[in-house]
Amino acid sequence: MVGPSSSASTPDGHGSPGGAWSDGAPAAPEQPSGPRSITPTTLKDLRDAVSTVGAVLIRGTGTATTWGAPVRDARTTVSLAGMDRVLDHRPADMTVHVQGGIRLDVLQEELAERGQWLPYDPARSEATIGGLLATGDAGPRRLAYGSLRELVIGATMVFPDGAIAKSGGHVIKNVAGYDLAKLCHGSLGTLGVVAELVLRVHPLPQTSRTVMVRDVNTALAQKLTWALTRSAIEPTAVEWCEPEQVLAVRFDGTADGAAARAAAARSMLTGSLAELDAGEAHSFWESHAARIVAEPGDTVMRAATRPGIDPGLVGALSAWADRAGVKALLTCSPATGAYTVRVTGADAKAHAELVKNWRASVEAVGGFVMLRRRRPGVDAMVESWGRAPGSVEVMRRVKGNFDPENRFAPGRFAPWF
Amino acid sequence: MDGRTRTDRRRALEAVLRDVRAECGPGLRVLSGEAERRAYETDALTAHRVLPGLVLLPADRSQVAPIVRACVKHGVPYVARGAGTGLSGGALPTESGVVIALAKLNRILDVDPDRRVAIVEPGATNLSISAAAGEFGLYYAPDPSSQVVCTIGGNVAENSGGAHCLKYGFTSHHVLAVETVLPDGSTVVLGSDDIEAPCYDAPGYDLRGVFVGAEGTCGVSTRIAVRLLRKPEAVRTLVADFPDVPSACETVSAVIAAGIVPAAIEMMDNLAIRACEDAVHAGYDREAAACLIIELDGPAQECAELFEQVSALCSEHACTRLRIARDAAERAAIWAGRKAAFAAMGRLSPEFLLQDGVVPRTRLAEALAGIADLSAAAGLRVANVFHAGDGNLHPLVLYREAEGEGPAAETLAADIAELCVALGGSLSGEHGIGVDKACSMPKMFSPADLAAMDRLRAAFDPSGLCNPGKVFPTPALCGEARGGAYQPHPLEQTGKIQRW
Repeated sequence: MVGPSSSASTPDGHGSPGGAWSDGAPAAPEQPSGPRSITPTTLKDLRDAVSTVGAVLIRGTGTATTWGAPVRDARTTVSLAGMDRVLDHRPADMTVHVQGGIRLDVLQEELAERGQWLPYDPARSEATIGGLLATGDAGPRRLAYGSLRELVIGATMVFPDGAIAKSGGHVIKNVAGYDLAKLCHGSLGTLGVVAELVLRVHPLPQTSRTVMVRDVNTALAQKLTWALTRSAIEPTAVEWCEPEQVLAVRFDGTADGAAARAAAARSMLTGSLAELDAGEAHSFWESHAARIVAEPGDTVMRAATRPGIDPGLVGALSAWADRAGVKALLTCSPATGAYTVRVTGADAKAHAELVKNWRASVEAVGGFVMLRRRRPGVDAMVESWGRAPGSVEVMRRVKGNFDPENRFAPGRFAPWF
Repeated sequence: MDGRTRTDRRRALEAVLRDVRAECGPGLRVLSGEAERRAYETDALTAHRVLPGLVLLPADRSQVAPIVRACVKHGVPYVARGAGTGLSGGALPTESGVVIALAKLNRILDVDPDRRVAIVEPGATNLSISAAAGEFGLYYAPDPSSQVVCTIGGNVAENSGGAHCLKYGFTSHHVLAVETVLPDGSTVVLGSDDIEAPCYDAPGYDLRGVFVGAEGTCGVSTRIAVRLLRKPEAVRTLVADFPDVPSACETVSAVIAAGIVPAAIEMMDNLAIRACEDAVHAGYDREAAACLIIELDGPAQECAELFEQVSALCSEHACTRLRIARDAAERAAIWAGRKAAFAAMGRLSPEFLLQDGVVPRTRLAEALAGIADLSAAAGLRVANVFHAGDGNLHPLVLYREAEGEGPAAETLAADIAELCVALGGSLSGEHGIGVDKACSMPKMFSPADLAAMDRLRAAFDPSGLCNPGKVFPTPALCGEARGGAYQPHPLEQTGKIQRW
């Protein structure tokens, strides 16, 4: 127990008057029978909502409920939809304090009114900011701006026992105390609720340019990526798609500056080149995001390796996909070593076979593969997580210290813990 | 303390020494004589001194784990130490404890110019990484003022920053993986599993993110994978003098409001300018009330465009003199002056205390006025030289120990740090909490906040032997006097954690 006033783990945490039922039905709070959903609107309500009995699933807009292993027996879903406000935007300090349930696209609109943005472009722009931290998601622009973990400067968390704790603050430079926000990065709702975040924002770039190269095979993609990152033109993003064999390079900056960098890229790159106009670039990046998000019924693998495109892995993916009779669409951020594979066609057995085989290839080069989605039935045949990292014992102890009853998203990291 | 007698503790140290001699093999250097150990009794925060019981210098990183295992087996607290340049007492030993000095583990193991990654040992200096990467046109971005001597292991522990972290971020943003000897003696990699092939992503909790900045309380690093950046195509630097401090502060806000993120914006007040100029002769104007050093870097065209705008903004805000570095040599001279600031203070005062609080950028003028008031009330001079772009103050409290001003100076320094918190900021921007500011932590964090951090610590270090007494306030250190808000943590009450 933390703090004398907290009421965590006590029975009166049930169905507090402030907690609104998302379905509008005033079910009996004393004896919740089936699964229920709570949409708190204040920090205190949120604390009361999680200080319940049984398993709790935290939900933002629900775009990543399938990430990682399936959660077992969630009795209560706590939705952050009622905590979706900007609490304090300080344009001159370039910081913004938000509730965890605000959608990224909504936040970006608000920031844009003051000429600012969060330089963070995950494929799921409608996801909540708390959910994006919890999923550790990152987009193409990570190459230049880092991921959300680099942009969060303060956080307020609610832990399973109802303890409300914050770390960091409102200043962009701060080393006082442990960084609890980092702990939540990638935790997939298993440690606590990200109730509030303070973020470092940036000035909106005047313009963004995209240069596209076609017919770029694996070897060429690797070569062009290194050429770009070795040069001084500072690409904001470099993305490669297979089997389309398209390399897209993005530059954010001042109008003249980004144009000059895009021109320099055109003269440096080889092959079938084109600079996209604003409309084309917009559609390209939209479809790029859609390809990563994929559709229900697809299986989506997310892999990470050291930076670079490993030709062995790309070859293995296509060979295993052919053998399983499925279609595998690869999206790769070569400079940061991130791969997303969307698997369609055939059946669950074929999907599971591809996951198993390609995961072995990725793990052999020191990387990992996790599942973001899967075709129904896949779970029975292959784990959502592969080989456990060496630090898994520390993760288990962290989980045990914060959630000793294993109530938050139980099973999410199965079979590890 | 743990209730053990002095004799018990001496026996425990002897047992540690026996074990490590048996397990580490040759090459391990053991310093047990009092004079040798004396060199390790303090870091750069010299006001705190504790003589360690034993100092061990591994010659090979495989010797670190047996040392940690022996310490834990015999209940002996330990602390890792790099160059000892820390400013918050983070490497302060525990009485009858062990110092694991990593200075000999200083190799750059690999530089991969394509992947832009370097694998280094913890005792490698910050600057040696950039030196090794330089031939490929790459560098390691975080640049603490002590970068010539401070080690990357210490930077990781403290999440060090530097003048250029306004644009490029802190150590935490540049570390991909850390091979660590955990307090249970096991060696794991935090971040992706293979330290020799580090990935940006790792599955599960971001333990690397927790470890960086945990001030050495979560384990001892043995190898570190860092990200390297391409050297910018262009760099432009100016020094702008101002007739008063508020004008300089307004200029900082105006630059940021214009949507420009400079690589660095540094400010010095008159006291600091004079000390630096006398020490280094960097061409600062000794009469200026305040000056800003502003540096922009990046692709040439954008850098030039934005530099024009910054110069114009300085002129619009009552700048009395604008000096633009003509070449790399002049830029280096300007930075040499700035980075010598702390050393130069010896010219103004025999002793000084350095604080490192942070305020929101828009409250800089208010903070500086508050510091001036506190300084006047205490009857002690305060010089200011700081990272203005990110609101990270570095007030230097000047005092004379011989005149008995020490306690008043400590009080003033703590008051300044807590003023920063009251203005919505932080106790520390880059130096860490260590023992220096541990007693002020309850001003910034609630008991629940601190308890959550302690739970995290206990997950790494259940026995509480890894660099104990740092970051968190303890009764032994803080007593009832300062802060007054200390409460024993719930985990202490339940016996899950203990303190030294």
